Amino acid sequence: MSAHNRGTELDLSWISKIQVNHPAVLRRAEQIQARRTVKKEWQAAWLLKAVTFIDLTTLSGDDTSSNIQRLCYKAKYPIREDLLKALNMHDKGITTAAVCVYPARVCDAVKALKAAGCNIPVASVAAGFPAGQTHLKTRLEEIRLAVEDGATEIDVVINRSLVLTGQWEALYDEIRQFRKACGEAHLKTILATGELGTLTNVYKASMIAMMADFIKTSTGKETVNATFPVAIVMLRAIRDFFWKTGNKIGFKPAGGIRSAKDSLAWLSLVKEELGDEWLKPELFRIGASTLLSDIERQIYHHVTGRYAAYHDLPMS
Amino acid sequence: MAATRAGPRAREIFTSLEYGPVPESHACALAWLDTQDRCLGHYVNGKWLKPEHRNSVPCQDPITGENLASCLQAQAEDVAAAVEAARMAFKGWSAHPGVVRAQHLTRLAEVIQKHQRLLWTLESLVTGRAVREVRDGDVQLAQQLLHYHAIQASTQEEALAGWEPMGVIGLILPPTFSFLEMMWRICPALAVGCTVVALVPPASPAPLLLAQLAGELGPFPGILNVLSGPASLVPILASQPGIRKVAFCGAPEEGRALRRSLAGECAELGLALGTESLLLLTDTADVDSAVEGVVDAAWSDRGPGGLRLLIQESVWDEAMRRLQERMGRLRSGRGLDGAVDMGARGAAACDLVQRFVREAQSQGAQAGDVPSERPFYPPTLVSNLPPASPCAQVEVPWPVVVASPFRTAKEALLVANGTPRGGSASVWSERLGQALELGYGLQVGTVWINAHGLRDPSVPTGGCKESGCSWHGGPDGLYEYLRPSGTPARLSCLSKNLNYDTFGLAVPSTLPAGPEIGPSPAPPYGLFVGGRFQAPGARSSRPIRDSSGNLHGYVAEGGAKDIRGAVEAAHQAFPGWAGQSPGARAALLWALAAALERRKSTLASRLERQGAELKAAEAEVELSARRLRAWGARVQAQGHTLQVAGLRGPVLRLREPLGVLAVVCPDEWPLLAFVSLLAPALAYGNTVVMVPSAACPLLALEVCQDMATVFPAGLANVVTGDRDHLTRCLALHQDVQAMWYFGSAQGSQFVEWASAGNLKPVWASRGCPRAWDQEAEGAGPELGLRVARTKALWLPMGD
Repeated sequence: MSAHNRGTELDLSWISKIQVNHPAVLRRAEQIQARRTVKKEWQAAWLLKAVTFIDLTTLSGDDTSSNIQRLCYKAKYPIREDLLKALNMHDKGITTAAVCVYPARVCDAVKALKAAGCNIPVASVAAGFPAGQTHLKTRLEEIRLAVEDGATEIDVVINRSLVLTGQWEALYDEIRQFRKACGEAHLKTILATGELGTLTNVYKASMIAMMADFIKTSTGKETVNATFPVAIVMLRAIRDFFWKTGNKIGFKPAGGIRSAKDSLAWLSLVKEELGDEWLKPELFRIGASTLLSDIERQIYHHVTGRYAAYHDLPMS
Repeated sequence: MAATRAGPRAREIFTSLEYGPVPESHACALAWLDTQDRCLGHYVNGKWLKPEHRNSVPCQDPITGENLASCLQAQAEDVAAAVEAARMAFKGWSAHPGVVRAQHLTRLAEVIQKHQRLLWTLESLVTGRAVREVRDGDVQLAQQLLHYHAIQASTQEEALAGWEPMGVIGLILPPTFSFLEMMWRICPALAVGCTVVALVPPASPAPLLLAQLAGELGPFPGILNVLSGPASLVPILASQPGIRKVAFCGAPEEGRALRRSLAGECAELGLALGTESLLLLTDTADVDSAVEGVVDAAWSDRGPGGLRLLIQESVWDEAMRRLQERMGRLRSGRGLDGAVDMGARGAAACDLVQRFVREAQSQGAQAGDVPSERPFYPPTLVSNLPPASPCAQVEVPWPVVVASPFRTAKEALLVANGTPRGGSASVWSERLGQALELGYGLQVGTVWINAHGLRDPSVPTGGCKESGCSWHGGPDGLYEYLRPSGTPARLSCLSKNLNYDTFGLAVPSTLPAGPEIGPSPAPPYGLFVGGRFQAPGARSSRPIRDSSGNLHGYVAEGGAKDIRGAVEAAHQAFPGWAGQSPGARAALLWALAAALERRKSTLASRLERQGAELKAAEAEVELSARRLRAWGARVQAQGHTLQVAGLRGPVLRLREPLGVLAVVCPDEWPLLAFVSLLAPALAYGNTVVMVPSAACPLLALEVCQDMATVFPAGLANVVTGDRDHLTRCLALHQDVQAMWYFGSAQGSQFVEWASAGNLKPVWASRGCPRAWDQEAEGAGPELGLRVARTKALWLPMGD
């Protein structure tokens, strides 16, 4: 990731006048999927690009070192080597952007990646993930421990109650403290947009969180996760923030992105709303676990003209 | 590993992440053209009509210029044949019960569904519009239109009792249009039992394909006939004796010319003119979403025309920055590409917009570079166009957006309503009160709140002012092709030697005709203008005689200046009156009814003097009072809410007053006809300038005495004098919003001709008497339809 967002002073005037029209955003979300699509080589190239944006994630209660190890290996070799060769892309060093695990599994992941001989960063969720309903002190401690274990990216959840009750200053302070606890590690702030009530709240929370760092849609544990309407609002907030401060803030949709086709729509959404500058792993991530295998399946089809059987592709 | 299918470019694309072509195959469109041997004729009476010795026009791919087919141009005899086929088909089609027509329309919808790929590729290939818009928008809506109107047809006998289909409809479509425009008009026409002859511009195969699909359904071959031909055929089609109504869709100037040339002709005329739309962006709006509204309106191949964009000054910079940012990401390209926003619309459209932009620049506007590259024209944003420059007055062409600032909502309304066009508009504001205020205040046919360009078969779409007053969709669309049952067929009243320049120009001078021997007290002398009796500008009078030829009295001789004053007074009274609640308006009408009853004996004796029996005279007075009360009560229930598929929130169908309505009353029924016309006009919130019965204006003047005490000043103005002269003044008045004329055939012809000036809707009797004492003709739903105009107000909801 690029240099840290140094953060900005809290300025509540940036969120005081904002209006988001829900039905209009829904219409835009519908349109954007229908108006842009890529085919053939473009599709293959875009899908490979999408691979480099993936935070390959496992956040299950039954994670152990063995499946973390498998995940890390898959992160290093996301697409079968011969397929990449066929596309003449084998020398591009295509890996996923990061692996994302629970704090207790950070050590396993760091070890596995070291064994695989690569420097893919390890991201850890933290700060009372996924509900954020623990004491601030333990949330901060959780971040520090994850960083100590070798996580270089920290995905924290915000305290939704602060948004729903309009305590923007408190929210800002919390995120600043998270930021500080991260030290050199990168911070991604999960807004849990499915629980914020309105799109206007999503915009406001985005703005406040950006005064701290990278923003992410959801934990993957809410009932509603990464949706296009929410993303449109967040991307517009990112653009407004860039126009106001000159700082480019990254964006990470997570949860519910499963098909290769979805990932293409997400890429074109970012391209349309923010522009090509945002289409790099420093500024755009996709949090996903099963997406990668569907992308690999599509690449297989593109290269061979056949649909792959389950056993044709290595599991992650 | 199988042979690799990957090309060499993946590496580059991986770095650049550019979009690639997403071509949609048009093989099936070409195959269909092949079935016609690449030569398209006309589709008449369920068969292809390919007459010999006709000129042909090439149908080209607007992007590559490749010749796709040649299209035969119709001639007068082909038009006659098509109208004859439609006339023959009308007999059977209209005689069937609505359910049968409903089944037929449903079958047509099913056929379209089965062959939709052919339809959308053909349409996109030939018109150059983005295939996404045709496929996901037009084709789906075409089917919905058929289904909606099938339902309307099936309930026609109950829901539309008292109305019958007009007959053969001549439909005229503009050079660039979507086949959907045709569907909006043929669906209601066919549903109510009319048959259609559509004249489409050369080289538009999609309507021909539709006609073929409809014709091949079988039992009713002649109900939809499509001819392709040049604009010179328009008057020929319009004046065919079999045509009962001409529905014209196209440029305002052509519509105006057609209005003039059809004056006095047999066919009625419905105009839908212009393509410009309006977007009002207030400072409480979600600006990003409003920018998407601009894209929907002008830069997405959805709307046909350009956009006038009004931005509140406090968000001007923000909005312009976002617009420019968004414009930069729009993609133009071949219509048959799945990832373009805008296709191409041919050389004529490019020339038009190029001229407009160059002219705007020469008048001081900023518009960026004028591209010379063809066939695509990029989205264009024009700003700083001085409001007084000539360019600011003309219609904005596709794909131009002309942005100008406003300071307050009040000023926005003044600017927005300050054009002769009244098509559609959207209001962007998150404040409900402000949005509704603007929505109600805009003089247009459709208003979307925080959305733009939504359409649905059940919502009437139309316009007002010079956008023409014809409607399609919803109940209003059906009435376009219906007429009250039992009324005599509309005949041509064309008088070739009527001189429009001199008709009613001079007032024959009147001389004193002896002393008045009327009953005393004589009604007050003067013109009833602005709530009081005023001396006429000409300072002369005309004698009124009773049925036995004796002088009854003198009335003031009104002239052009009096009409001007009366229209002004009516305009001053209009905002206050239109703003009254229906209940308050009803109360005043009831008060007038009571006053009439008090004056019953005077009124009856005056009617007696005009040769009526005492009993009949008293009955006429009573009926007049009843009419006032009835309209007062009826107006309580105007407008209603529609529910649209896929939209959360209501669509309001409002019935708004027209404005200042000019009414020339018939000679017969001097009291009843006057009141029967006055009552609905006032009930719906219009203010009126009335010319009472020429033979006996005294009764109207008697009513004026009561109006002077009951009504606010200026609500109803009554001008006596020479009928032809006053008719001329009113018909040529640009600030009269509608005109009803009950009088001679010549006068009717003149009124129809003169209405082309501001395209006011006119209702002319063409010399046919009306039974004003009958409920249907004197107070029927026809009056209720004509007395107000519809506005559709879309209110999407969601938080």
